[in-house]
Amino acid sequence: MSHETNARDPGDVGPGFMDAAELTAREGIARYVIGFVLACALTAASFYVLNTSLIWGPGIPVALVVLAIAQMGVHLVFFLHITTAPDNTNNVLALAFGVLIVALVIGGSLWIMDHLNENMMPMHQMMQMQR
Amino acid sequence: MFGKLTWQAIPWDQPIPLVAGSVVVLIVLAVLAWVVIKGYLPYLWREWITSVDHKRIGVMYTLLGAVMLLRGFIDAIMMRSQQAAAFRAAGYLPPEHYDQIFSAHGTIMIFFAAMPIVIGLMNFAVPLQLGVRDVAFPTLNSTSFWLTATGALLVNISLVIGEFARTGWLVYPPLSGLPYSPGVGVDYYLWALLISGVGTLMTGINFVTTILKIRAPGMSYLRMTIFCWTALAANLLIVAAFPILTATLAMLALDRYLDFHFFTNEAGGNMMMFINLIWAWGHPEVYILVLPAFGIFSEVISTFSGKPLFNYRSMVAATMFICLVSYMVWLHHFFTMGAGGNVNAFFGISTSIIAVGTGVKIYNWLFTMYGGRIRFATPMLWSMGFLVTFVIGGMTGVLLAVPPADFLLHNSLFLVAHFHNVIIGGVLFAAFAGITYWFPKAFGFKLDEGWGKIAFWLSLIGFYVVFMPLYVAGLLGMTRRLQHYDVAAWRPWVLVAGIGIIIMICAAACQVVQFVVSIRRRDELRDETGDPWDGRSLEWATASPPPPFNFAVLPDVRGEEPYWEIKRRAIETQQLSAEPKYEPIEMPRNSPTGFITAFFCTMTGFALIWHIWWMVGLGIVAAYAVFVWFAWRDVTEYSIPAEEVARFDRARRQAREQWLAQHAGQPA
Repeated sequence: MSHETNARDPGDVGPGFMDAAELTAREGIARYVIGFVLACALTAASFYVLNTSLIWGPGIPVALVVLAIAQMGVHLVFFLHITTAPDNTNNVLALAFGVLIVALVIGGSLWIMDHLNENMMPMHQMMQMQR
Repeated sequence: MFGKLTWQAIPWDQPIPLVAGSVVVLIVLAVLAWVVIKGYLPYLWREWITSVDHKRIGVMYTLLGAVMLLRGFIDAIMMRSQQAAAFRAAGYLPPEHYDQIFSAHGTIMIFFAAMPIVIGLMNFAVPLQLGVRDVAFPTLNSTSFWLTATGALLVNISLVIGEFARTGWLVYPPLSGLPYSPGVGVDYYLWALLISGVGTLMTGINFVTTILKIRAPGMSYLRMTIFCWTALAANLLIVAAFPILTATLAMLALDRYLDFHFFTNEAGGNMMMFINLIWAWGHPEVYILVLPAFGIFSEVISTFSGKPLFNYRSMVAATMFICLVSYMVWLHHFFTMGAGGNVNAFFGISTSIIAVGTGVKIYNWLFTMYGGRIRFATPMLWSMGFLVTFVIGGMTGVLLAVPPADFLLHNSLFLVAHFHNVIIGGVLFAAFAGITYWFPKAFGFKLDEGWGKIAFWLSLIGFYVVFMPLYVAGLLGMTRRLQHYDVAAWRPWVLVAGIGIIIMICAAACQVVQFVVSIRRRDELRDETGDPWDGRSLEWATASPPPPFNFAVLPDVRGEEPYWEIKRRAIETQQLSAEPKYEPIEMPRNSPTGFITAFFCTMTGFALIWHIWWMVGLGIVAAYAVFVWFAWRDVTEYSIPAEEVARFDRARRQAREQWLAQHAGQPA
């Protein structure tokens, strides 16, 4: 059963150590500044779409959700340094696991709570019985 | 000055809690006095209380769990004897006291017995099996332990000062809301769990980090033991689930303390949301307990069958499958709450599907045993008892997963029998298997096999005699948590369960005797080689008990069963590998941070329960000050000189060489 080899698994390295050495201070600061500008722009945009006629009225909440998700993306990439590089696999997996759990718990709760009165008598029938 | 706390908080008029409480206080005082008089206090403080060594913390966790297991077991004895007596009678426990007992039993058994033992065994074995020197954050580990101890302490203080919750172990509102539970019982529950929950969350983070980032050279993911894999899965579940528990209980605390309306009837609150959220934590919690248990059984069954685990990769896949699907089943705890057919069908089916993962594991264990040279040592007996018992418990679980059946069996003793069947048969048997298995590693001598086997057989028989009748009583319509009843058809089954609990008492006594006898006979039971069970994973590669640094030189892992291969090579060549070059080892310094933080957290929790606001402020500020003081420390590590490492490792190598010489000529 045992697979005895002398080679070590090359894909299995401690994550997070490489990118700190590769970036110069200047590049590091530039990354944060770009992130900051993007984050500000997205924040400003969400205030702007509230009172604009550019977007169809009922579409405004959808636009806000889109901007919020974009904001999260900016934070993850520019401030938390999530990349697709192999040394970031753990972080990406952790993020995916977290998103999945949050989606399951929130989505599931909404579905369950929405369904709770399914077996109740419709309201107008109940009113009739009370007469 | 002291908020709601007065002399009336002590139940002077109720003899049972008062006497029980006084006895416990006397025992604790006697132990403390003995420790002080014998002069053990400095030793305890230096070597145990302030220890950040994962092995010591693991032992302390397990000890805490064992003591709380005894406390929860006494509650169980009281419930079974009350029901045996209370047929068309009042029994000896008044309703308000009986309600506290079943609430305390559930709370203690899950949070302060099962969790500490499981976390304790993970603490002890995971770093050793990964071939490393400690966990990622040793001082955090110590703090986690002491915060758990804080929770246990608060629950036990409620025995003497005030009362405990009368609401069941998950404090459903509206019963746990202020209008229906005005006393301090629910507050004791809330603060004990909020504080110990932080500790558990920190453990989760610590172990996920350890397993993902700190492994011996060459220890790739698919070379880790199954116990490490199940520990990884369980700790991922902790990290994702415990925040839900903390948030839910915090919302209930806001309802009770600051007049919020999350779970009330008025002002738009919805108590169904509490039940939904608490089970979104509660079902993953079941797997937090049982996945490490599966890991222990995997180790034990493979070792005592003398074979590698059958189909290792499917075991890993099944573990991670259970880890994920355990988040998609929580509604099965409240099928009857009113959701329609679609929701109930979805969660019923997902519940049945999760049993497939467990089924894969059962077959893997069976095929590991098949064709193996099985040694029936105590840990193996617990594992085989588990296989049979857990399959029965799993089957009744799949039955309960069918919503129409659940509508009949919900809240009945059938349900009670089911979850005791899986938790006792799964988690508790694993705890005993794990303790017997790793005890020689932790203390350097084996536990007495004779008493261990008697304890096993009595536990197994006692379990069936208690819980099989409860299945029947449940099918006959007996609901859970009855203080008294007058249905003649239930009576015989309740009486049989009462006889069963007597067998369980004998089993518990045998366990205690096992420890006493083993400690007295420790010189005969000594494990010289560090490998008492002919083990396969890395924890057996070092001495028993292991030195603070675990391994003189970190092992170089080249296969799935690293220690087995080292051992085979040594037997084939009739010599150990060449002596390595020893280097000094840096180890984290002991720190009282965890103990002092937990002391102030206990103070804060107690003050919050009794509304002593100045003490709340004092406790929080002091706990934070300890953290700052720790963050500003200058020296974090101490160095163990190379000579000491060498001296230690040479002694171990000598013992191994002796063993080789004695077993010369053994087929490789």
